[in-house]
Amino acid sequence: MRFMLFSGRTIRQGNAVESKLSPEYRDATSVLSMTPFDMMEAGLDEGDAVLVSGPGGQVVLTVKADEHLPAGHVFLPYGPYANHLTPTETHATGMPDYKAIPVEVEPAEGKPVTVWELMRDLGGVPHAP
Amino acid sequence: MLLKDVVCPYCACLCDDLDVTVEGNRVTGVDNACDLGAHKFQAGNRLPGPVRPTEKGWDRVSREEAIGFTVDMLLSADRPLIYGWSTTSVEAQSLGIHIAEEIGGVVDATTSVCHGPSILAIQEVGHPGCTLGQVKNRADVVIYWGCNPIEAHPRHLSRYTMYSDGFFLENAFKERTLIVADIRPTESANVADEFVHLKRGGDYAVLSALRAIVRGKTGSIPSHVAGVSRAQLLRIGEVCKNAKYGAFFFGMGLTQTVGKYKNIRNAIELVDELNRHTKWTLTPMRGHFNVYGFNEVCTWVTGYPYAVDFSRGMAFYNPGETTAVDILARKECDACLVVASDPAAHFPRAAVEHLAEIPVVQIDPVVNATTAFCDLQIPVAVTGIDAEGTAYRMDGVPIRAKKILDLGYPADSEILREVYQQIRDRKKVREVKPV
Ligand code: SF4
Repeated sequence: MRFMLFSGRTIRQGNAVESKLSPEYRDATSVLSMTPFDMMEAGLDEGDAVLVSGPGGQVVLTVKADEHLPAGHVFLPYGPYANHLTPTETHATGMPDYKAIPVEVEPAEGKPVTVWELMRDLGGVPHAP
Repeated sequence: MLLKDVVCPYCACLCDDLDVTVEGNRVTGVDNACDLGAHKFQAGNRLPGPVRPTEKGWDRVSREEAIGFTVDMLLSADRPLIYGWSTTSVEAQSLGIHIAEEIGGVVDATTSVCHGPSILAIQEVGHPGCTLGQVKNRADVVIYWGCNPIEAHPRHLSRYTMYSDGFFLENAFKERTLIVADIRPTESANVADEFVHLKRGGDYAVLSALRAIVRGKTGSIPSHVAGVSRAQLLRIGEVCKNAKYGAFFFGMGLTQTVGKYKNIRNAIELVDELNRHTKWTLTPMRGHFNVYGFNEVCTWVTGYPYAVDFSRGMAFYNPGETTAVDILARKECDACLVVASDPAAHFPRAAVEHLAEIPVVQIDPVVNATTAFCDLQIPVAVTGIDAEGTAYRMDGVPIRAKKILDLGYPADSEILREVYQQIRDRKKVREVKPV
């Protein structure tokens, strides 16, 4: 199903932002909020895994209900998971479309990978003390 | 030991009334801070010293080697990018800009992915700004548009608006009217007197409708504008016109959505329109601790607030071309120095991919997502915790942050000063030596 994704700050994401490699940060930034109606239409329950595909790429997330979202919209906290979907186009402003990302959401297996795994996928070398 | 009036190094509210208890060179208690600020004082995961990845793992290197590597990288690059700056002091920011000038590089800040569009709009139509003290003491109508201060700037309401009594408002909670405009009912919307629930991408249209109403052109307003009823728009128009002093705050709900800087231009023009009736001001809800400071320093030094390219031998500014995301997406830079930010976590995937293909040095206290792309990371003190330094609050007021711990790390300004000095020394050698 197609949705419009917008990303933004949350207090959980803000609290974990100083330790981006922690499970808390992953849990705070890899949860996709959807309206309960859209979840029902997509055959999803709270905590299910979804594969989200956007103009920037694909990423597996878990889903949670948020009755306050506008229908047809999904929300993801700022962070590397949202940025895996975000395109680089800035429309000559320097600012990507962090709050207007067309995405496809489908049921999936598994759970969100760690931030290190996301970075490895982009060619990074995770730090090991 | 109890330290009074400590400045919080997390967000651009720069609360300067924190009580911090320090025992044995460790923070054991933080009073007056919100959750975000308290976490920052107690965060661990500092890197012990400079590190670089090798085939066998991550090796420690000396400070001298680390500075030498950084200087080599910057001097041998054709198109170096120097990026970050939002969580460090203006002293460090100033050195970063001078380094960029010295090497003919591009210097950009996290501004380009937060309130860059606000600056573009301000450059077009001006900034009707004020200090937060004015808001606290005078504002009887407050608008938060496309921002959620309860989650992003948790003490903004209690220090400056709804829950803060002021000189002319003895019972602020009762005397102030709070209007929140957003595409979803946020925590901040829950405490508002009036919630303007607009459709995504409808900000420009709703702001235009309010401008028409304030001008007295109510006949042209249709029954709904981007999901907002005519009746509500007329009501808000009246509240705004009848304010004694109105304060319009806005966040990335305006800067990052469709229309970007045009939304902010329209908001400024609404404030301009309202000033024909009463007094109104507008303030961007700047996010990080000292992101605003970079714009101040960069403007003094170069004439431009961010995204400055020195490759022509003079300062050139063209957001969309000289901004970090665009430069990385075009795979244009051939080296990157990151200071006090984490672009790998906050830039779109394709922009981050280029970081894996070029040499990257990061100057940052903690291991973060950008560490994975580093050829070298130099840990430094956190400004406002174990280094002092000046930062600019979201309203442009400079505040001196204290050093409250000594953990043995250098301030980023110390490292940058050495890098700058070595670059200048090496260039001098090159200049005098016959080829
Ligand atoms: S509102 Fe911002 S500056 Fe104030 S305590 Fe919270 S995080 Fe720190």
